[in-house]
Amino acid sequence: MKKLNIFISSILISVFLISFLLISKTYAQTPSPSKSLIDNLTSKIASRVAQLKLVEKRGIIGKVTDASSTQITTVDLLGNTRFVDVDEFTKFASSSSKTFGISDIEKGSKLGVLGLYNKDSRRILARFVEVLNLPEILHGVISEIDSENFALSIKTEKNNFSIDVETSTRTFSFDSKEGELVRSGFSRLKIGQNIIVVGFPDLKEESKISATRIIIFPDIPGNPKIKLSSSGKNSENE
Amino acid sequence: MKTEKVVLSFIAVLLGILVTGVAFYLYQATKKSPNTKTKIITTSVSTPTPKPSVFLSVKDPQNEIVVDKKVVTVSGTSSKDAVIVILTPIDQKVLTPSSNGDFSTTLNIDDGQNYIELTAIAPNGEETKTTRTVSFSKEEF
Repeated sequence: MKKLNIFISSILISVFLISFLLISKTYAQTPSPSKSLIDNLTSKIASRVAQLKLVEKRGIIGKVTDASSTQITTVDLLGNTRFVDVDEFTKFASSSSKTFGISDIEKGSKLGVLGLYNKDSRRILARFVEVLNLPEILHGVISEIDSENFALSIKTEKNNFSIDVETSTRTFSFDSKEGELVRSGFSRLKIGQNIIVVGFPDLKEESKISATRIIIFPDIPGNPKIKLSSSGKNSENE
Repeated sequence: MKTEKVVLSFIAVLLGILVTGVAFYLYQATKKSPNTKTKIITTSVSTPTPKPSVFLSVKDPQNEIVVDKKVVTVSGTSSKDAVIVILTPIDQKVLTPSSNGDFSTTLNIDDGQNYIELTAIAPNGEETKTTRTVSFSKEEF
């Protein structure tokens, strides 16, 4: 009986000691008011830093697919759909109108958007929206040359284009030996040559391009994906 | 007598656990899913599009970056025998990469949004293209 008493007593003392140790440890971990304030401030600063990193300035070019009073949907140059938010601070500009606004945006027009990109929502809050008139770049092979009218036809991977060569058109040729561009002229153009044309499409006919720059690569064959038909001809040879 | 009972009970419990464990192990080892419930899933592997013989990787500039200078450095890596064509709305550069395929140059850009189109042309005429958008702006927002 005495042994049982001693055994029970020792268990009770052990339980008491363990409880005391646990309570004292928990109490020691409770932060003081000053520590709590510092923790709170640290947390707020960390949150603000994260917020600043989450948003960054960005500029995109996109073709409008949809527009409402608060949002513009565009497809960018890489083919991705981009959502642009518009608010009362967004400024609009167009070379064709001084009073250009969100309601004037048409589907298919090309826009340049400068704004704040949110990495989380992947949306841009527009600050500046401008209608762009950028030249197109065509990579192809010369399929026809009209020396009388200073025009040529080129075939790209997808379409055929007729190119008007103007007096202002700058023509370059790539010299592979020197590894640089040299000035060239219309007379140097040949059927089957690898060509890059930079220019603006005709407003009435999209496949007609008014060239501003032409680059030819006499030493590089045309893209093997572009097959020239037998109709390729030079008007001089007729 | 009391101690003997405790020891015997302990041994009996141990034996019980051991036998149960062995029985459970044997049951799991012999368990097989019926064939009727097995589904054979076949996936068709589409023929990959042949990659062009020339590659192009652009290091600078970052896409959609906003800069406050009208001269932009363009750099990257391509096949060492490729010709690199870089075009902006107002400028153009054609260059050949170094022996390890690296290339770097500077180009002029216009106000607002500019595209920079990079093309690597292989000696056989194959092309690989990519585009970067770079905006010039000094506006604070």
